[in-house]
Amino acid sequence: MADRADNRDAVLLAPIERTGAGFYWAVGGLALLILWGAAAYSTQFTSGLGVTGLHQPVSWGFYVTNFVFFIGISHAGTLISAILRLSKAEWRRPVTRMAEVITVMVLFIGASQILIDLGRPDRLLNILRYGRYQSPLLWDATSISAYLTASIVYLYIPMIPDIAILRDRLDRRKLLYSVLAMGWRGTARQQTVLNRAIAIMAVLVIPIAVSVHSVVSFVFSMTLQPMWHSTIFGPYFVVGAIFSGIAALIVAMIIFRAAYGLHAYLKPIHFRYLGQLLLVMAALWFYFTFAEYLTGYYGSEPEEMKVFWSKFTGRFWPFFWAMVLTNFLIPVLCLVRLGRRTIGKVLIASLSVIVGMWLERFIIVVPTLSNPRLPFGEGLYWPTWVEWGETAGSFALFALFYLLFTKLFPVISIWEIREGREVGLKEVEERLLTYLPDPAELGPAESSAAEVT
Amino acid sequence: MSRAAEVPERIVRGIQWGMAAGFVCFIGGIIVWIIHLIRTAWRLGDIPSASIGISLVAIPVFLTLLSVGFYVFWGLLTDRSER
Repeated sequence: MADRADNRDAVLLAPIERTGAGFYWAVGGLALLILWGAAAYSTQFTSGLGVTGLHQPVSWGFYVTNFVFFIGISHAGTLISAILRLSKAEWRRPVTRMAEVITVMVLFIGASQILIDLGRPDRLLNILRYGRYQSPLLWDATSISAYLTASIVYLYIPMIPDIAILRDRLDRRKLLYSVLAMGWRGTARQQTVLNRAIAIMAVLVIPIAVSVHSVVSFVFSMTLQPMWHSTIFGPYFVVGAIFSGIAALIVAMIIFRAAYGLHAYLKPIHFRYLGQLLLVMAALWFYFTFAEYLTGYYGSEPEEMKVFWSKFTGRFWPFFWAMVLTNFLIPVLCLVRLGRRTIGKVLIASLSVIVGMWLERFIIVVPTLSNPRLPFGEGLYWPTWVEWGETAGSFALFALFYLLFTKLFPVISIWEIREGREVGLKEVEERLLTYLPDPAELGPAESSAAEVT
Repeated sequence: MSRAAEVPERIVRGIQWGMAAGFVCFIGGIIVWIIHLIRTAWRLGDIPSASIGISLVAIPVFLTLLSVGFYVFWGLLTDRSER
């Protein structure tokens, strides 16, 4: 049926059909990190949060930093994919699936950071029973639930035709693929339903994604804590989220390009376009950071200035300036001229941004809590092996989830690539003609001038 | 003939309907939870307007997601036309 005969895109199915030694090595390495994380969590669960570096006044540390960071990364997918789909950017076709998978996987990891930070996960029941909607924390719970649901639907719907290919082509996991393929046969009506659903979801996920990171920022900005109580925190967080999301997407693309031999699909042009997007976001991030800190500095409110100087020249200066270096200087230097070695430059910039955005989250969370308005002395925060373990475990779990996904489903959308070849080319030509002046509408003089030129 | 026929159709359909039911329960559960929070806030006089305001946005979003899910489920499974 769908496509036993069409072997042009066999390389996209190869990781599902065959498993090499590299996969087991990768799983083994990630499993070790996850075990470290599990041991750390087990210690924390049995002994309490006292085994971490968290205390008063610094009651949020690595876990909340990770939470904000992972939720930010989740914008890779849904938002970038939805925007590229809606703008009919043809180069999106090999990119969207990877981006959507990042979103779903990382949202699970991000949300679990709050459970870890609670110390006693049974207290989650209190939110279910006695949650109060005056608290931005509950806005977070609601918006992340909506975002996770929307992201799963948005990942799943465009996967249906590819799952049908797997159902018809592979001899294993027949039940799984038959169930998930939803009876897909590629009829005109099914195609219409699919396209309409994808379009609705693409429109829907953008405001949901924006709301999620705005609400994450409200957790900070709705307090009166110094350097948190800011009106631009919503857009600042959204910009940072898209910034880190693009970086994570680029890194994932480069890893799977090399691991699964996807060079024919993920070409330097894709990295060039994403690199340009990353450069724009670096400039935007710098603008928001500059505006945020300049406003605080100009106000010179004493409590704000304590936090301000702790970041600029005080205890947190290495993190702050490393953040500026990795989020702005390195990406700009790498991306401003993408001539030769595009992929290498884009990779360095992306890795730099991932580190920088984690530092940015850390530099927002911890210095303010170290210098609160309340009459505490300055708080020190040193993460213990428990926080390091859980952070390493969380990153490894995300990578493992992603890796396992690629062993079950194509990491590049096969049907969208085929649609690009069969329909997209003609559609782009027709669309391009609609952008240009119609010769029939031009006057005789303009027409002849156009002919001469 | 598709080799999907190797898997009994009844089992596949049963699981698909089970997934759809699970999705309804999940979305329904969230909506019930939000309503429970409104009721609790109302009963305690604990600024119910906040709960009502947020539910006015959240509930339609979840219902829209449910509608899209069902549109796809119904649209694909009930199509009997030829390719």
